[in-house]
Amino acid sequence: MMNELVIFLILAVLLQTRIMDLRRSVYCLAFQSGLLACACLIVGLVHGGVHLVPALLTLLIKVVFIPGAILRLIGKLTDEREIVSDINVNYSTLAAAFFLVVGYVLIDGIGAAPASRDVIAASIFMILTGLSLMVMRKRAIMQMCGLITMENGIYLLGLFVTEGLPLIVELGVFLDVLIAVVVLVILTSRMSLSFMTTDTTVMKKLKG
Amino acid sequence: MELIFIALGLYALGTCSLLLPARGELLAHRAGTFLAAGASFLVFLAAVDYLLGWGRFSLPQAGLIPFASLGQFSLAADLWSGFFLALTGLSGTAVSIYALGYAAHYQGQRLSLLTGLWNLFILSMVLVLIAGDGFTFLVAWEVMALASFMLVYHENEKKATVQAAYQYMVMTHLGTAAIMASFYLLGSASESLVFADLAKNGLTENLRHVAFAFAFIGFALKSGLMPLHVWLPNAHPAAPSHVSALMSGVMLKVAVYGFGRFVFQFLGAEVFAYGLVVMLVGLVSAFLGVLYATMEKDIKRILAYSSVENMGIIFTAFGAGMLLFSLGQTMLSLVAFGAVLVHSFSHSIMKSLMFMSAGAVMHATGTKNIEQLGALLKKMPWTGAFTLVGCMALSSLPFTSGILGEWLTLQSLMSLADSAGTQGLRLLVLVGFILMGLTGALALGCFVRYFGVAFLGRRRSGAVLNAHEATCSMKIGMGLEAAFIVFLGLFPGELVSAAMHALGTDFGSLRGSVWGVFWLRSMTDVAVYSPALLLVLAVVLLAVLALPLMGSKVFAQRDITWNCGTLPTRRQQYTATGLSKPLRRAFTSILRPRRERIFLTKEHAYFGRRLEYRLSLPEHFERLLYQPAEHLLVRLADGLRVVQQGSVRLYIGYTMLAMVLVLIWGWAK
Repeated sequence: MMNELVIFLILAVLLQTRIMDLRRSVYCLAFQSGLLACACLIVGLVHGGVHLVPALLTLLIKVVFIPGAILRLIGKLTDEREIVSDINVNYSTLAAAFFLVVGYVLIDGIGAAPASRDVIAASIFMILTGLSLMVMRKRAIMQMCGLITMENGIYLLGLFVTEGLPLIVELGVFLDVLIAVVVLVILTSRMSLSFMTTDTTVMKKLKG
Repeated sequence: MELIFIALGLYALGTCSLLLPARGELLAHRAGTFLAAGASFLVFLAAVDYLLGWGRFSLPQAGLIPFASLGQFSLAADLWSGFFLALTGLSGTAVSIYALGYAAHYQGQRLSLLTGLWNLFILSMVLVLIAGDGFTFLVAWEVMALASFMLVYHENEKKATVQAAYQYMVMTHLGTAAIMASFYLLGSASESLVFADLAKNGLTENLRHVAFAFAFIGFALKSGLMPLHVWLPNAHPAAPSHVSALMSGVMLKVAVYGFGRFVFQFLGAEVFAYGLVVMLVGLVSAFLGVLYATMEKDIKRILAYSSVENMGIIFTAFGAGMLLFSLGQTMLSLVAFGAVLVHSFSHSIMKSLMFMSAGAVMHATGTKNIEQLGALLKKMPWTGAFTLVGCMALSSLPFTSGILGEWLTLQSLMSLADSAGTQGLRLLVLVGFILMGLTGALALGCFVRYFGVAFLGRRRSGAVLNAHEATCSMKIGMGLEAAFIVFLGLFPGELVSAAMHALGTDFGSLRGSVWGVFWLRSMTDVAVYSPALLLVLAVVLLAVLALPLMGSKVFAQRDITWNCGTLPTRRQQYTATGLSKPLRRAFTSILRPRRERIFLTKEHAYFGRRLEYRLSLPEHFERLLYQPAEHLLVRLADGLRVVQQGSVRLYIGYTMLAMVLVLIWGWAK
């Protein structure tokens, strides 16, 4: 069951690297987070008790609230596509593929338990791909998607390395992401108001 | 109850005066300075008692005082710190009494802040001296640096003050960084930062050299040795005079204390090169310091450069002592270290006195340009008399305390030449001897010029017309220091005994008694400096010379000769610039003065011409050392700007790169 989920997650992230449309990207992100919530649920079912709370939280925050907020924001924007990207989409997919290999090489080097090998490799893949998405995309929304992808990867890693974090830590992590996204949404709408675009390259103007 | 803790409490109470509202600032000032003077007197009393072994009071012994939130502090005093506590206490008392009257004219200009910081400044210096571990030392050192920065910054309406204060701040923090690095090196090789543990450090030979280099740079910077002195001639004129008095008189000695602690307790003086470096730097500072002092026109800059000179002499003696120690001449090295202490003490009192008198002059005339003074002795007889004592001491004339330290320094240079193993060292010591002699002569010239131009002759500008004598408390403050200078000049025995006691030897080759200072090189070879005998000799000689004149009548008729038919005017007397002209000529290759002569009108080659003459001494150290360093720093920063492109994606890219590197590193392990 876990293996299938991991395969779908990898596919979702690879898909994420292909998408240039803002809305679709957010949908894809919600799908990815949903898969993560499923993984959480499975771990929670195994351990039982309070471990179900994180799954619910993931569902609520990462699948419903964050994509909802971003979608609302997109509704206000005028340009919905990452039209001009100086880096070809193919490169980000290629990088993602490379990171998948890196993940497996690393995990073999470290020598993890065979049971969690795929999960850890996938989470490293997600973290690095999320970062590369942030680097390679210009639009603020796409960068936010990259951030959440990375965040999902870290969460997945934490979930399997520690087999369920303490509840208080989980809550802290979620609050963190929530606030980050709220701030980012506010800033992005400000940016769109001031610069008429959400292209972060205009921020270079701010350098003294 | 230990006396020194009461003193610390009084200082803390005095510091509170900065919290008082502006309305009662004169009251706060009086209370604050009284507290500072009283506390300093207690410090002096406790330290003298400890040094002379009366045993009535005690200084804090090693022991940790835990402060739950701030970590652990410890206070400990030994004989070495006791000596410096004594000089801090003495100058602290005298200058605080002086400040009572002097600083009152800052009323309306944050006076209570000045007084509060004044207390904090003395408190921090006492704390540095009784710190028992590296952490306490550094904290107190930093408080001292910041308090003195705030004091220098006090007259911040002036642009020059702000610049000087910030320059001082940057320089002093460089020094603190160096000292901190040295402490870290020592601490990493010891059990803890407590001084007793640091003494048992297990540093390897190479790291010890590095630690020594850092310590020397840090303390040399604070004591204003060349080429790290640049802050000193700028900070002193900018600061209020009583602050410069204490900064020059005491703070520079605190640096000597710190250096001594590092050398004696932590690093050892066995390495030959250490002493060599210290002595060379000291010699260069002494000579160049006094040379620049002779060129200056600002009275406080003269005094500041003279501080550079005297710190140079102190470090020359220190270096000579270290060299003697490394050559195995322990007894002889004690003479040199004794010279360090004696000269530290006497320089502390004489430089405090001189800065106080400079403050009185500035207060009375409103200028610190020596070219605008003159004939002040008539208007300010007391200040003039005290200044004369200070000038005599700084030129190391007999019957003042100034000669003692220099005499001992020269003696130890001589014994170093005697016991030098190699020809090279002997030659070097010879050069050092010449430089020291030159320094002494130049210092004499410098202070003859200082006193002559400022206090004698006829007035050089209208600023002198309204000059008035200093107030009573200022006179008491100056008089106290002057009395000490003369007393120690006549009876140097106790000071030398105290210095030898502070070095931990009571037998020593150096001895003091009522008759003077004795120094035994071997059982048969004795050198004596006895001011009492000299005084008797001088009186007898004067009497013999005066006797023939007594009975006979001397006729003197005064007339003006060779004055080309005009009466000599005020403008024909020597100016300070003119007086130092021969030296500027002689040392042109070092000073490289820039002269500019512009003819405003020139009707004829010899008359009917008006000209403007400008003379400036370029700052060679800034040009050759500091500006290149600054350029390098700016260039490096420009290079780093490439990294800083303002692109969000690039910054995330850096994060990513770092993460990949960490992953690879983890994997490779």
